[in-house]
Amino acid sequence: MTAGPAPDALGEEWLARGYVIRDVADAAAHEWIVTATARVAAEALGSPAPAGLGASIAFMDAIHERVTPAALNDFRVRVIHGINALPELRPAYFAVARPYLESIVGNELAMQQRVNLSIQMPADASSLLPVHADTWSGDSPYEVVAWLPLVHCYGTKAMYILPPRHAAAFDADFARRAGASSESAFDAMRDQVEWLEVRSGQVLVFDQSLPHGNRVNDEAETRWSMNCRFKGVFTPYGDKKLGEFFEPITLRPATRRGMGYRLPGVR
Amino acid sequence: MSRLRGYIFSRPFMGERAPQHVQNIVLRDYCQRRGHELLLSATEYAMEDSTLILETVLGELPAIDGIVMYSLFQLPRDPAERRGVVERVLAAGGSLHVAVEGMRITDAVEAAAVEQCWMVKAAMESAPQGPAPAAGPEREGS
Repeated sequence: MTAGPAPDALGEEWLARGYVIRDVADAAAHEWIVTATARVAAEALGSPAPAGLGASIAFMDAIHERVTPAALNDFRVRVIHGINALPELRPAYFAVARPYLESIVGNELAMQQRVNLSIQMPADASSLLPVHADTWSGDSPYEVVAWLPLVHCYGTKAMYILPPRHAAAFDADFARRAGASSESAFDAMRDQVEWLEVRSGQVLVFDQSLPHGNRVNDEAETRWSMNCRFKGVFTPYGDKKLGEFFEPITLRPATRRGMGYRLPGVR
Repeated sequence: MSRLRGYIFSRPFMGERAPQHVQNIVLRDYCQRRGHELLLSATEYAMEDSTLILETVLGELPAIDGIVMYSLFQLPRDPAERRGVVERVLAAGGSLHVAVEGMRITDAVEAAAVEQCWMVKAAMESAPQGPAPAAGPEREGS
């Protein structure tokens, strides 16, 4: 009998599909993230903060009624700075995805230092994310993305991903397909991508080395989602380095002991 | 005010490396000091010698006024390709800026100055690195 890891259904699903979608692991942390983000956004607009989870979601869903496309980027930057200035954000973000990350990535983790925020208003083409894989821009293939919708994301309000079974063919023809316009690159995979419906209260953990992106949001509500990268702290780094982009968050006792250990002196 | 598309790298270039956020800070500072508008940076692919993103940016000319890249050493390594990039920018009536070196190309004279820097750096890189180690005494059995 060999001692090996037990079969891990979550990990197998992630490998096969390129992603998993699960209920958040910490409902209180999720509620804090949603309501705190809505509060920071309301402050940026000089509006009263919505009270509670439901009102916060409704406020963010309808933000296009208060912010013009021209003002969106400045608004988004203010909210990102505001929410990242709160020390509770990163622990709460980790808490909503922790068991899934520990299953897929490991239990000694490095976390991106700043959590990103995406706001995509209906019919706004300025916030498009053309088809890409993060690895193409220097991210390590050992990284995963924990993607947290703050509102219900469905249809074109959501993001899409090219599943592993199609990604290999895309990579084999990379120079032609990725060098084309983003429109034609998407057209070539339109029938192969999966649109990921993720509701507020769920978290998506996906393989950022698979092509993914978004399209113009044709739904009636604004998308708000956060994303943050995690990786094994001792796995290889790409262009996003430890210290300048990632920070260790869960070093275990044996690692802490090992890092401090010195052989006894002999002189 | 010229509208310049930022262009940064996600891989080392000619023995150099700069974090992407630092590259963007340098671009922002360059543009602020010279009164240019910086358009959101495009990040070149990590694959060695990729210029796919640069091609996309060149395709934006003349809708934009030019390109500001972090370093002149992010231009293509191949001399003909490099010359082609400069010619396409100038033919579109645009300008090419290299922020960390504080240089720009708006005509053939400035293009020659940038190319000269490139050639010197390339020569330094390919030059022998110091004297060869002295041969030791021949050993028995060697």
